[in-house]
Amino acid sequence: MSEFLLELLAEEIPAGVLASARNDLLTGVARALADQRINGTFFVHSTPRRLILFSRDLPEFQDDHPVEAVGPSVKVAYDADGRPTRAAEGFARGQGVAVEALVTVSTPKGDYVAARKVIEGRPTQDILAEVVPPVVRGMTFPRMMRWGDGRHTWIRPLHSIVALFDGLVVPMEVFGIESGRVTVGHRTLAPGRLVVVGVDDFLAKLRGASVEPDYSRRREALVAAADRLAAEAGGVPSPDPVLVDALAHLVEWPGLVRGGYDASFLDLPDEILVTTMREHQKVLGVRDAAGKLLPSFLAVADQVSDPLGHIVRGNEWVLKARFADARFFWEEDAKVPLEERLERLSHLSFQEKLGDYLMKTGRIQQLAETLCDRLAADEHAGSVLVAARLLKTDLVTDMVREFTDLQGVVGGLYARREGHPEEVWQALYDQYRPASPEDDGPRGVTGAIVALADRLDTLAGFFALGLTPTGSKDPYALRRAALGVVKILLERSWHLDVPLAVKAAALLQPVLPEGPDPVVKELVPFLLDRLRFLLERKGNRFDEIEAVLTTDCSDLADAADRVAALSAVRRREDFAPVCVAFKRVQNILAQASGEELPREVEPALVTEDAERALASDYFQAREVLDELIGARRYQEALSVMASLGPSLDRFFTEVLVLADDQAVRRNRLALLKAMRDQFFRVARFSEIQG
Amino acid sequence: MDFQTLILKLSSYWASRGCLLEQPWDTEVGAGTMHPATFLRVLGPEPWSCGYVQPSRRPADGRYGENPFRLVKHYQYQVVMKPAPVDIQDLYVDSLRAIGVEPTEHDLRFEEDNWESPTLGAWGVGWQVLLDGMEITQFTYFQQAGGIDLSPVTAEITYGLERLTMFLARKDSVFDIEWAPGIRYGEVRRQDEYEVSRYGFEAADTGLLTLLFERFEAESKRCLAQGLVLPAYDLALKCSHAFNLLDARGAVSATERVGIIRRVRELAVGCAKGYVASREGLGFPLLPKESPAPPPDLSTAEVFPPPSHEIPLPDELGEPFPEATEEA
Repeated sequence: MSEFLLELLAEEIPAGVLASARNDLLTGVARALADQRINGTFFVHSTPRRLILFSRDLPEFQDDHPVEAVGPSVKVAYDADGRPTRAAEGFARGQGVAVEALVTVSTPKGDYVAARKVIEGRPTQDILAEVVPPVVRGMTFPRMMRWGDGRHTWIRPLHSIVALFDGLVVPMEVFGIESGRVTVGHRTLAPGRLVVVGVDDFLAKLRGASVEPDYSRRREALVAAADRLAAEAGGVPSPDPVLVDALAHLVEWPGLVRGGYDASFLDLPDEILVTTMREHQKVLGVRDAAGKLLPSFLAVADQVSDPLGHIVRGNEWVLKARFADARFFWEEDAKVPLEERLERLSHLSFQEKLGDYLMKTGRIQQLAETLCDRLAADEHAGSVLVAARLLKTDLVTDMVREFTDLQGVVGGLYARREGHPEEVWQALYDQYRPASPEDDGPRGVTGAIVALADRLDTLAGFFALGLTPTGSKDPYALRRAALGVVKILLERSWHLDVPLAVKAAALLQPVLPEGPDPVVKELVPFLLDRLRFLLERKGNRFDEIEAVLTTDCSDLADAADRVAALSAVRRREDFAPVCVAFKRVQNILAQASGEELPREVEPALVTEDAERALASDYFQAREVLDELIGARRYQEALSVMASLGPSLDRFFTEVLVLADDQAVRRNRLALLKAMRDQFFRVARFSEIQG
Repeated sequence: MDFQTLILKLSSYWASRGCLLEQPWDTEVGAGTMHPATFLRVLGPEPWSCGYVQPSRRPADGRYGENPFRLVKHYQYQVVMKPAPVDIQDLYVDSLRAIGVEPTEHDLRFEEDNWESPTLGAWGVGWQVLLDGMEITQFTYFQQAGGIDLSPVTAEITYGLERLTMFLARKDSVFDIEWAPGIRYGEVRRQDEYEVSRYGFEAADTGLLTLLFERFEAESKRCLAQGLVLPAYDLALKCSHAFNLLDARGAVSATERVGIIRRVRELAVGCAKGYVASREGLGFPLLPKESPAPPPDLSTAEVFPPPSHEIPLPDELGEPFPEATEEA
């Protein structure tokens, strides 16, 4: 077993790309080696300045490789006496084998001679020298840069490469940098050169030079230090795993210090304090047992000691300035109530062609009013109107300019301070929820309605302009907006006629080059796509989803109910047969698609027993189904449908649907069509795969 | 350390590392990057290394001298090195030692922070440098200026002088730092701040400024047509400043804003092209004499897209501190 070590030392790589860079390096090298028949177990580490890859179980050589080269046909290779011809001799010579060693192989084109050889595996070290540089050069990052003479593109300038195979330098060159066995320690604490001979030596020397190469160890160290320091302050670290992840990527030698701030800042809302600490200073808050913030914080440092207290004092100084700023905004903003800020929204552009935020506010108000009406939420109409009017006013507060991430939340906090009722301030506060598929929608009905109106307006506007997402590009976050619409409707079981609502939103747009219909035509399927995405996440199977989404789904919540029912019922034993039977129904109706069928089944034309039985079962079921479907009791409806399976099977066995007598034939088709149309109100279960 | 000692030490340090000491540009600019010693000199193949102080004006950041962290006019120390030396980060860390910061006693981090200026058609990638949690420097590798891909690549280091002095002296207000022994920053500049804030927010004649913008723009184009690159650039800077004043005055709507930024960018792009053509006409005189190397061939460089140009909010405020970043 041989070991390989690779270290790429660069200028500080952005924290956000390290995890994926590590992974790309690992898969890139492992795959390139596997292509060369070299397999091993690889490990990767990263620090802000390093990407490290190593393996301890590589073979010293590639596996030997049998190859077969096909030559001339047997007819050409041997003469009538079976002696090799000059063609055979030439081929053997070319392949470097004796002519007697040629074998015969059969191919679809006939028999040919072939040379079989074993190619000896080459030294792994040589292969590494060939395959590693293209992997490194080929790594891609979200925002690449050029440096030096501008010829190379990578995430940051590369400074050195350590590449060792069993202690020997693997010669390679990337971006003009030759590999070697020298690296450096921590930028400020141990900047000297480190000459390394192998993996263990390398890891040990890095640790001796104030660099912990292992991300997870750095993270653990931070978590342990955070718990300890917070406990000393009588609390626990404010839970924030995402921030801790980021912090562990920012340092090579993780240290943590605890600082404090004036308790008077605790008068500011929690949200603002936490955002200041988290987004602006990347420090963790400390909370007491009841979850209340304590006037302490924990700041990461790229070193473990702070003998002169500079690090604590520096962080305290900055945080104090930030908090003072936040307090200034909090107090300044109070001087102009949200209501009075409405006019200023006319100076804030929403989108060049869709107008400013005051115009958007007008549209949200109108649409919210319509939605109230459609959702029979009249008792909320008052608060919906106020919430819709104030919805965007926090965009013109100093606080939101400073804390962009807190838009919505700030509006909510200000509305609460101004004494607006809970329905209203929460609607402002929650307007951007759900922020992700996992997140919940707004807490109240008012919030849900204005959030819907806001998103439908945005979607309709951008769709009217043809600015729809393509592939991975979604610069206006329209997918998230659409997901919000779907989640809110599902969460609240709101049976909204979505095409109608979309049309209402479209009609309010200032630009509608081709009327509302193209918007409805594009946007409704876009929303259905989000529904599909959500249902898949919930674990619904593809065919269940398609069976429902290929029916009329103008009511998304209803469609989701039907998928749920289908998912529950499909496990019943009698369900699969009815699905199979309906595939036949579909096929037959498709064959007869040109025919004009009677609207009602004519009892006098029902002649055969099996036909009579089916018609009678169906007519009995029909009323029950109408009632069940009307009451959205889909699971029961589906069970009733499944119970018709045996009669349907018998019908197909005993009755010739496409009878010669045209009237009989049309009558039978009409019966099947009636059943299908009734059943497919719930789902096209001909789509269900056994 | 007082304000002027900081400037002296930075100047003397970077001079000792081979930087020519430029002087502040004498047209109003929003940031040190707009000084021709950066914006124009980063273009083309000629080597260039310099350092200078640049007073920078951001009318919208005015607080009448009442906010301890915000100023209309603040001072940046700007260093550009083209091509960026391989050890530029080490040089930077040494510059901290030169101003009395021993890095081993502090927490020093380079955190990703990319920069772009829609008005200059310029962008770069790099870091904000944090010292004990405080952003003290903006460090950028220029990728593009005036819409032109840059090669060789320049490193730009911008120190926010007030915030650095405040931080080192642990003062809670910019006005309390010492400019020179015995005289505070506030004593030198506070009344200025009051006056320029009042001017920017209340008194500026928006009709005149709009007219000036139009005239400066036309004059810039006229100069450019005659190959007068530097005058054209100066006039583009005048446009930019007129726009910043109009913006602070709330006289620019969001839609107009986008259009105006585009117009200034067009001037900047024109100047950048004109500058490269002019230097080329002169035979790129700063290239090393013995080996008149041709400009590096970019055809083998990998192509990557420029970042999207996000337009800031209409009346966006600057950072809460007079900081080393740039705006219009």
